[in-house]
Amino acid sequence: MVRTYQQYGFLSNIRANYFATRLDATMTLVFSGLILWVFWNLLNWGALNAVWSAENRDLCVGGGKGACWAVIDARWRLIMFGLYPYEEQWRSAIACIVMVGVGILSCVPWFWNAKRISVLWISGFLIFYVLMRGGFFGLTPVFEQNWGGLSLTIFIFASVSLIGMPLAIMFALLRRSELPWIARTMGLIIDIFRSLPLLAIMFTFAIVLPFVLPGWMIGDKLYRVIFGYALFFACYQAEILRGGIQALPAGQEEAAKALGMSYWHRIGYIVLPQAFRNALPPTINQFVITFKETSLVVVIGFFEILASGNAAFGTSEWSFAHVEVYFFVGLIYFIFVFALSRYGAHLERRLAVADR
Amino acid sequence: MKKILLAAAATFALMTGVANAADSRLNTALERGKLLCSGHNGSFLGFAEVDDKGNWKGMDIDLCRGLAASLFGSSEGNLEIVPISWAQRWPSLQSGDIDVVIKLSGWTQSRDTELNLAYSNPYFVGAFHVMAHAELEAKSVADLDGGSICVSAGTSTERILAAYLENNGIEAEIIVFEKGDEVKAAYFNQRCDGLILFSPPLAATKATAENPDAHVILPDVLALEPEAIIVPEGDPKWLDVQNWMLSSLWFAEINGITQANIDEVRANPPSSQIGKFLGVTPGYGERLGLSDDWAYNLIKEVGNYAEIFERNVSGPYGLPRAMNNLYTNGGVFYPLVVD
Repeated sequence: MVRTYQQYGFLSNIRANYFATRLDATMTLVFSGLILWVFWNLLNWGALNAVWSAENRDLCVGGGKGACWAVIDARWRLIMFGLYPYEEQWRSAIACIVMVGVGILSCVPWFWNAKRISVLWISGFLIFYVLMRGGFFGLTPVFEQNWGGLSLTIFIFASVSLIGMPLAIMFALLRRSELPWIARTMGLIIDIFRSLPLLAIMFTFAIVLPFVLPGWMIGDKLYRVIFGYALFFACYQAEILRGGIQALPAGQEEAAKALGMSYWHRIGYIVLPQAFRNALPPTINQFVITFKETSLVVVIGFFEILASGNAAFGTSEWSFAHVEVYFFVGLIYFIFVFALSRYGAHLERRLAVADR
Repeated sequence: MKKILLAAAATFALMTGVANAADSRLNTALERGKLLCSGHNGSFLGFAEVDDKGNWKGMDIDLCRGLAASLFGSSEGNLEIVPISWAQRWPSLQSGDIDVVIKLSGWTQSRDTELNLAYSNPYFVGAFHVMAHAELEAKSVADLDGGSICVSAGTSTERILAAYLENNGIEAEIIVFEKGDEVKAAYFNQRCDGLILFSPPLAATKATAENPDAHVILPDVLALEPEAIIVPEGDPKWLDVQNWMLSSLWFAEINGITQANIDEVRANPPSSQIGKFLGVTPGYGERLGLSDDWAYNLIKEVGNYAEIFERNVSGPYGLPRAMNNLYTNGGVFYPLVVD
């Protein structure tokens, strides 16, 4: 398709697209006015009238028209690191950066083979764990219940995705097994997990399981919750993958069979790569939801970033400043989720090359 | 859902609990060398908060510190505050994740009986009050007749308000909001004439309002909730320690013993009873299975009840002592007899 209006200049473009009729012109003016008004107010509140420094807290109290970022200035370490011991918070910061770095590196195509990506993730997790938990190399031990803030959120998200994804592939394949009793049992398990609310699953894994499991199987509450969440993730993701697999023409697998390819070759080279491509948009969606729902661990007493934000304004000096704290935490969520979805869009464009 | 899970957890706890009934949590904590006490997931104003450096503070936290000092001489290195949510507190207590629940928890019949919990004497009496805009010049809730009152959804507060209005024939509109922040915002934006809350957060809301003088907390007590320390049922030794810790805080207050002057008083006890209380002469600790100077360590660590209250609740939030005073000042609290 040829876009003819590109031949005109900038101004005439605007006239043609936004001011063609009287109705268009009114709509353009009204909506741009509205947007400007919102932005102007936001700018006024968030920047021009804002109080930036913790020393100026008194300016925030009573009649302050702008945002009180002083609360962030005073409490940002609590928000970012939760209950992690103050003197050791540099460890939590580095661990966080390492994990984000691993996440970014695994988006680089050079790492996209089984060996490189697993080396990357295993070393990333090891560094994260050693830094956070301590007890090695002269680092003082910090137990999981004192982990908190952004590093806990990222840790939960990364572990859930990492455990959940292979499980999801396994579940999806079992669900499509040719032996009906395997396929049906798997289907039943998936449906049971999908019909339970995530909150109930977390609560059960954190609190009810220790009563029924033998002592050596209990482990730390954090890992039980991550495992429960990973199962939940895997059940949803397995259905997404199954959708991706079923969208493939049956002839492809049959042709691969006719060529004498083994089961694993068929799955690994023919079925899964295409299934993942088909399922990419809902998969990114699932990751985004998983990231956001990590905040539910607050019900079992973990100081992930939303809870530490709550603690940040939950004190006599700052209890008026909840909007600013929520805004700040929201911004952090936004950065992560937006990056994730932009990467997803990029991936889609890249993989779509084959279709053109 | 939550109810079912809790019941299930309690049943399991009952099965495991019976087996362990022989040894008291007191011995468990002493052997461990560390007290595991309840914290919060976030913050509860005045009772469990986190300071800039990630350290816990608040009235409930001070009681945890006091308990640790009573057991070990000092809370330093002997206390672990375990962050837990409201829903988690009973199962965590039963499973042994924590030794004791000091988490502003009301004494209700269902908890006392069905959940197999044992309550100490109350250490705080929380009342439900209504705050109104000062310009309305209301003197009591009855003056809000024909007006409106904001309340959070799904809490006992909603029931309490409805019952009070019905019993007293007050025709006020109840406006329900989902979240605590929303309720407050609605009240401050004049959506309603009154706001009902539990007294500590209500005092905090008033203290941090744009203009605290523009609001009055009406004197009517709509309902009362006694808050107590909670231990598992069937552990009398551990419960005794809780009761005597609280009693010691009031005993110190009524006898004018404070964190600052305790060393002087101990060096020169005004009566043999106080001498015994501070461990100058033996007896006060031994009967409980503690060291004889445990009450000295307790007061040295956190001060008496008045000091704890002032530091955490009335100082920062301006909540008056009122009913939480000693009986000598018109309150409901009193020390037990030290003999």
